[in-house]
Amino acid sequence: MATLAHPEVLAPDFAPRSRPRIPRVIGGVLPGTLLVVIALLGPLALMFRYSFNRFVPGELMVEGFTLANYAKFLHDAFYRDVLLTTLWVAALSTLICLALGFPVAYALVRQVGSRWKSRLLILIILPLLMGNAVRTAAWMVILGDKGLLAALVSAVGLTPPRLMYTPTAVVIGLVSVTLPFMIVTLQSVIERIDPVLEEAAESLGAGHLTILRRVVLPLALPGLLAGTMLCFILSMNAYATPVLIGGPQFHMMAPEVYQQVAKAMNWPFGAALAFVLMTVTLVLTTTANVLVQRRYRRWSE
Amino acid sequence: MSRAGIRRTYGAISGTVLAFIVLPLVVIVWVSFFANRILAFPAHGYTLDWYARALDTDAFRDGFITSVQTALFATAASLALGVPASLGLVRGRFPGRDAVQALLLAPMVVPGIVGGAALFIAFIEVEALLDIQVAGTIGGLLVAHTLIALPWTIRLVSASLASADRAIEEAAASLGAGPLTVLRRVTLPAIRPAIVAAALFSFVISFIDLEKSIFLVGPGRTTLQIALVNYLEWNLDGTVAAVATVQILIVGAALLVSDRYARLAQAF
Repeated sequence: MATLAHPEVLAPDFAPRSRPRIPRVIGGVLPGTLLVVIALLGPLALMFRYSFNRFVPGELMVEGFTLANYAKFLHDAFYRDVLLTTLWVAALSTLICLALGFPVAYALVRQVGSRWKSRLLILIILPLLMGNAVRTAAWMVILGDKGLLAALVSAVGLTPPRLMYTPTAVVIGLVSVTLPFMIVTLQSVIERIDPVLEEAAESLGAGHLTILRRVVLPLALPGLLAGTMLCFILSMNAYATPVLIGGPQFHMMAPEVYQQVAKAMNWPFGAALAFVLMTVTLVLTTTANVLVQRRYRRWSE
Repeated sequence: MSRAGIRRTYGAISGTVLAFIVLPLVVIVWVSFFANRILAFPAHGYTLDWYARALDTDAFRDGFITSVQTALFATAASLALGVPASLGLVRGRFPGRDAVQALLLAPMVVPGIVGGAALFIAFIEVEALLDIQVAGTIGGLLVAHTLIALPWTIRLVSASLASADRAIEEAAASLGAGPLTVLRRVTLPAIRPAIVAAALFSFVISFIDLEKSIFLVGPGRTTLQIALVNYLEWNLDGTVAAVATVQILIVGAALLVSDRYARLAQAF
């Protein structure tokens, strides 16, 4: 390499005048960065500032500096309930994702050949990219009063449960959106665990559940954490699923943000809702991260 | 439990979960052929009428055209911005590189509804300031879609650049190739598969976006996803299923092709 870096040694006749250089590429980040600053960071900053403005019906928004919008959120039982609903629905779907995602990811890595693994991964990712509108429509057809599930349940002579427009249906819909993310994340982490460790534990007499608990889970913890957070964040911010499957009586945070900003045109309150949603999500995921990491360090000692 | 027992248990759980994941896809394609006036089980015969009906529905036809145009533009723009950005991030060494990288990937992290709301407010303020129309025009939509496609392009292209052998670039440079020639003849060919995958992925991400677009569509300018959601609020018939099936075919084809160029799971 040292000789190649000095072309005059190798090919003096064709040596460029200046030192050979990989193209100056740092400037390449500028246009993209500019777009993100103008179309994301700037608007977010503007919206944050607006969350301290006052809303006067008829006049839209009045410049000011008040915490009234955040206070309204805290004092209004309706919005407190919206946040609580969002939290427990997101937490429940995340737990289900974790419980269902782990066995699939583990089986994909340990029990499936590489050819089939990549086919199955496409099969898992494809529904993810069919779009929220289409997927939600499909769940409406499956869970509706005259849907597939109801038809199957009646066929065996039972009364079908009412699922459409219930929190249960929303959780089912959310799990189907976030589960692929969980499986892909876990799969990539389990992939890096040496199977020899599990074989060693087995030869020392550990049962499969013990191996999972004492060997695989501690080593897969970073992935479990990443997958859990991803699912939780996606569920917290879900829009199409709660609106279409939850129905008009079911309220989660993201649809309320849309309602306030685009329909009621109450920008200050809509902005406050958006920042409450982001802050709560951030605080919870960071806390979980810190707690689990501390536990992890104790485990690995 | 015996080894075979453990295997069977994993197989059973995984099979059930996979069926659950694929179920919506299979069901929506299946019911697009049902003859029922309102989507319900069991089927009262089968028909292809819903596909003709979907073509005749203005909202879906216009939405489809708008979505394809928007996605094509977002793809081109996200490549034009994302490939140079990836080169800078992977090949460049400069202070604040990590911060710039975090910033460029931020559109993926900020929730769609929150980012959409912020962009909507900003557009209306720009309108008031400059006396031009932005929200509800194709221009606003194009900016938003380029923004959401950009991080996916950067992730795929950066990963490919990081694993490409730098010695070949150095060799080309030392043999007298100018910086642009190295870029054109060595670097870009090496990452071409990732660029193809990024293009297809950007197209899909833009095409299926709902959360950002919902703030930015205007009367007479609706993307397909918004047209679907609006329709679903009042109707649940085979038209939706037919449109969904066409969309699944398009997205599926794009994914299968892009998987030949870059491991799809890598993008997540």
